Amino acid sequence: MNYIILYDGSLDNLLSTIKYLFKEKIKPINIVNEIEYVPNLLDYSLKPDIKDDVLEINNKKAFKIIYYIYLSNYVKKELLIYYFLLNYFIYKNKIFNHRNLKCVNKALDVEHKVAREAHLLKGFIRFKLINNKFLYAKIKPDNNVLILLSNHFAKRLKNEYWVIEDEKNNLLSIYDKHNFYVIAKNNIKLDLNGDDVKWSSLWKTFFNTITIKERENRKCQRNFMPKKYWKNIIEMEDEL
Amino acid sequence: MTLMEKLTILADSAKYDASCSSSGSKRKNNNGLGNAAFWGICHSFANDGRCISLLKILMTNCCMYDCKYCVNRKSNNVARAIFTPEEVCEITINFYKRNYIEGLFLSSAIIKNPNYTMEKLIETIYLLRNKYKFNGYIHAKAIPGASDYLIKKLGSLVDRLSTNIELPTDDSLKMLAPDKKSKEISNSMLTIRNNISSKFAPAGSSTQMIIGATKDSDYTIMKKSNDMYHTYHLKRVFYSAYVPINNDKLLPSISMPPLLRENRLYQADWLLRYYKFNVNELFDNNTSFNYLVDPKTDWALRHLEYFPKEINKASYNELIRIPGIGLKSAKKIISARKVFTIDFKDLTKMGINIKKAKYFITCNNKYFQNINYLNKELITSNLINNKNTIQLSLFD
Ligand code: SF4
Repeated sequence: MNYIILYDGSLDNLLSTIKYLFKEKIKPINIVNEIEYVPNLLDYSLKPDIKDDVLEINNKKAFKIIYYIYLSNYVKKELLIYYFLLNYFIYKNKIFNHRNLKCVNKALDVEHKVAREAHLLKGFIRFKLINNKFLYAKIKPDNNVLILLSNHFAKRLKNEYWVIEDEKNNLLSIYDKHNFYVIAKNNIKLDLNGDDVKWSSLWKTFFNTITIKERENRKCQRNFMPKKYWKNIIEMEDEL
Repeated sequence: MTLMEKLTILADSAKYDASCSSSGSKRKNNNGLGNAAFWGICHSFANDGRCISLLKILMTNCCMYDCKYCVNRKSNNVARAIFTPEEVCEITINFYKRNYIEGLFLSSAIIKNPNYTMEKLIETIYLLRNKYKFNGYIHAKAIPGASDYLIKKLGSLVDRLSTNIELPTDDSLKMLAPDKKSKEISNSMLTIRNNISSKFAPAGSSTQMIIGATKDSDYTIMKKSNDMYHTYHLKRVFYSAYVPINNDKLLPSISMPPLLRENRLYQADWLLRYYKFNVNELFDNNTSFNYLVDPKTDWALRHLEYFPKEINKASYNELIRIPGIGLKSAKKIISARKVFTIDFKDLTKMGINIKKAKYFITCNNKYFQNINYLNKELITSNLINNKNTIQLSLFD
């Protein structure tokens, strides 16, 4: 039977579901978030009734790979996690060497992409100070890196109130000087207007001044700072 | 003078320093603002393609020296400005909070004397660390000729402390920077080296050389770098292509900075630090690089007897000498071949670019497309026709 397996969208539930599939020896043709699933006549969909029996992965590196794939925008990420885990339980620590296996190679690539995007945005994200009260930034990442960024800024901007909006997923991460909370944007009213011109114009001046005209190289600039991020990078917004 | 005007003048006068790195420090946020990221973070890229990580400014551009190549030399008629310590702190803090920057890179022209200049830097950075509780990255320049006491004080406040050597030989320095004493520069570098610890410039020290303002050869430059890495335990040597801004009979008359040469020197520098090449190998009997190819390919073409290397057998040290195979690729290869035999297809699948490497390797005892390409002229013409080999990508 060709099963499409449904899960509730959380990583815990995904890992419990995969554990169940292993136990029952079911090979799904896909695993999808139930909210995104559009039923059709050809597929046989199934949401296994499982307890909170999460698959244990005690290899840190393997867990990180799975977590990052889970955060990625890879279309069949759940299935990729399923196949990666299937091989992980065969090859254990040696799994990372197995670039000849399609799913391992893909898993490592997807992990790398997510890590890279999180790293880039740690640099490219721009806050503005709203009403002298809190810092506010907007991002539109390909992958769901909001939590990774929030961890970073919870340490770095520990004594500031800040809000990061993920425009793509309609999420807000709100930090109250102790913890950050990720919530759906529609659930809260925040006044995000207000200008922060004094410092942003000083910054733009600095940015323009630091260029050595004789070395101008816009291609190199674009390679390092992909254009898709410019909209939210204040010194680049006039370029668009 | 407005803050905007000052910032314009003092960023403009600092921009020729090539250093951009913000890595190497593990400074924590001690209940204030900011922390360091060990691998460094680039925050923006200027229109010249260079990474912007730190707020790179001078305390002042009022200089009592007259280095021929420098915009700030006293004989130039340019707008001058001095920041107050509070102003530097305000800009740093406000830029940092908005995530424009990873920290501060503070240097200065020589005002009054080296000690006075150093005291200004120390006063500013002390304020930033203590009053503003700033724990982000700070790179400061030590002023040659300042007392050891001041160097030690500054070092205890910053993540990186460095001194620019400026030019590769004493004669060149005498000619173009007559007020600078090479003895003072080396003393300052030694004092820094002797004090580096987790509490003193934990991210170590770097330096920079101007390229193309004098007749010094690539060999002279790389030899100097190599000596400095050993003597002063530097983390980095930066190469800054000379930008013709002043007219002087002692300066070369060029219209564009020698960017390709600068790029080749950076590549050679990597070979020294991470690829276990020694300086003489990089040149054999030449004194300058063949700029048409990168220095590793240049070396390989002079040493075809060393190739082909079998990807499934070559040691790590052998792999990293193959043109086009970087450290990461070599590690991937080592890890992969523990569990399977690597083919050309696998290399591509693993994300390893074999554009250059394919001429120098065998996979499972087979040449690429079964053709033995190991011929100097053939490889050179194939690589040079491929315009990508001359593309510039300078900053890591
Ligand atoms: S000391 Fe020389 S290099 Fe430094 S600012 Fe003054 S003139 Fe320029």
